[in-house]
Amino acid sequence: MKLNATTWIIVTLAVTAWVFILPVKTVACILVMQLILLLYIKRSKTMLAAIGGLCVFTGMMIALQLLFGSPLDVSLFGGLRMLVMTLAFLCMLATTKIQSIAKALVDRFHMPVEYAFMLTTALRFVPNFLEDSTVTLDAQSCRGYSNRGNVFKRLWSYLVVIRPLVMRAVAKSETLALSMELRGFGANTYKNMPKDPFHAADIVVLAIVVILSTYPFWIKRVPALLPFF
Amino acid sequence: MNPVIEFDHYYFQYINGKEPVLRNINLQIEKGSFTVLIGPSGAGKTTLCKSMTGILPYYMGGSYAGEVRVLGASTKGKKVSDLAMQVGFMMEDYESQLVSLTAAEEVAFALVNHGFPPEETGARVSRALAEVGLPGRENYQLDELSGGQRQRLALASLLAVHPDIIVLDEPVSAMDPDGGESLYALIHKIHETHGTTFIVVEHRVEFVLPYMTDLVAVQDGRIAAAGKCEDVVPALYANPVLRPLLPDLWQIKGGLEARTGRHFGLWRNVAEAVDELHAQNIRKEGRP
Repeated sequence: MKLNATTWIIVTLAVTAWVFILPVKTVACILVMQLILLLYIKRSKTMLAAIGGLCVFTGMMIALQLLFGSPLDVSLFGGLRMLVMTLAFLCMLATTKIQSIAKALVDRFHMPVEYAFMLTTALRFVPNFLEDSTVTLDAQSCRGYSNRGNVFKRLWSYLVVIRPLVMRAVAKSETLALSMELRGFGANTYKNMPKDPFHAADIVVLAIVVILSTYPFWIKRVPALLPFF
Repeated sequence: MNPVIEFDHYYFQYINGKEPVLRNINLQIEKGSFTVLIGPSGAGKTTLCKSMTGILPYYMGGSYAGEVRVLGASTKGKKVSDLAMQVGFMMEDYESQLVSLTAAEEVAFALVNHGFPPEETGARVSRALAEVGLPGRENYQLDELSGGQRQRLALASLLAVHPDIIVLDEPVSAMDPDGGESLYALIHKIHETHGTTFIVVEHRVEFVLPYMTDLVAVQDGRIAAAGKCEDVVPALYANPVLRPLLPDLWQIKGGLEARTGRHFGLWRNVAEAVDELHAQNIRKEGRP
C-alpha cells in the first residue's frame, strides 16, 4: 500500500495537531503504530539509530522539564508529544520520495516552486557539504589549525574552517543557479512532472484523519465511543 | 563553410571589470567540427564559452559590443534556457551542475522544464544514459555514482535535449589520465554518431589529439589563431607563449620541420609519427 505524498503531508500535519487534542492513551497508541510502521519499512541500523537518537533527545527534554519544576506526568506527556510529532515526519520521509513531497507542496499547497526545490537541493548537497568540510578541515589542519583549548577558543579557531566552507558553498550555489537557469527551471518544473493520483488507500487514510481530527466535536455526541480513546 | 556559431566583432567586459576580457572576436565554428579551445589561464576561454551560450551577457550581465549568432540567429533577446536547447554547456564544476537526486531525474530535468511529454522524456532519458555508458541506472542516487559516472551523467543530461552544439569547459580537469581518455573516447563516439558540433576547452591537448578537427587559440582576450588544425599548428608553434600549449608530439613535429625544412602530416599519435619519420628516413640526428 503506497500513499500519495499529499496524504502523507496531511497525516503528518494532523498528527502534530492530534498530540494536543487526543487523550494520552491514544497518543501512545499512535507512537506504537509509528514505531511498527518505521521498523516494517526499514529495519536497518540507520533507522534504529534515528529512532534511538530521537528517544535520547526526548529523554533530555523530559529531564529539562523536570529540572524546571514541571510535574512528572506533564513532563512525560510533553516528551511523548514531541516524540510522536518528530516520528510523524520521520515516517513521511521514510515512505515518500522527497521529490514527491516537493511536488505535492507546489501542486496542492501552492508553495512557491523555489522553496519546494530547496528541499530537494538541500538533500542533494548534504553529502557534498560534508565532503567539503572534511577537505577544508584537513587543509586547515595542514596549515596549523588545532581544536585544542576551551570551548570558546575552539569555536573561535573553527572560524578558519567555516569561512572557506561558506565561500565554497556560495560558489557552488552560483553554479547550481546557472545550471538551473540553463535548463529552464521555473513554474513548469513541477507542473510537467508525472501526476501522482489518489488511490482508495488515500481516501481511507484521509477519512481516518478527519474522524480523529474532529474528535472533540463528536465525542460529546457519541459518548459510547469514549472508552476506545 | 557552414558555421553554427559566429562571433562578429565581439567585445565583452564583466560588470566590475576594468578592461574587456574579450576584444574584437571574429570567429566561426564549423558545423560538425570537434573544436578545441586553448590558451593560457585567464586568456578568456571560459568567457568565450559563456558568450556562446548566452550566459554572457544576458544572464550574468556585463558590457558587450558586436554580435554572437547561434545557428544563424543572434543570441540577443533570447532566454538562456531556450538557447541551451541548441547549445548544451557543461561547466568545469560539473558536480555543482547536477541538481537532482537520481540519475533519471537529472537527465530529465531540462526536458520536464520544457514540457516534453512523459513518454518521450522517459525514452530520451534511457537513450542518453545508455549512450554515456550508464544503462539501467535510472534510479541510482547521485551519491551512488562515482565521480567519473557523475561526469557522464552531466553529459547525458546535455545529450537528452539533442542540442546541435555541445560546449565542454575543461571536462577532464579533475580526472586521472585513464578517466580523461575514456571520457574523450565517449565524446568522440557521440560526435561521430550524431554529428554534434563539440567545442572543448582543454589544457591537456594530448587527450583530444586523435579527435580534434579544429583549433582555436585565445591569447589576452583575442583570437590568436583559429581554423583547421593543419593550418593553425604552424602559427601556434611560432608563438612562444602558445607553443607550450601544443601537445608534445606537435612540438616535436614543429621542431623537426624547423630543423629539416620538411613538412610532416598532422600526427595524431606516436605510431603515426614513427611511421612517417621512418618513411622519410629521418634519423635520430634529424638528418636524412
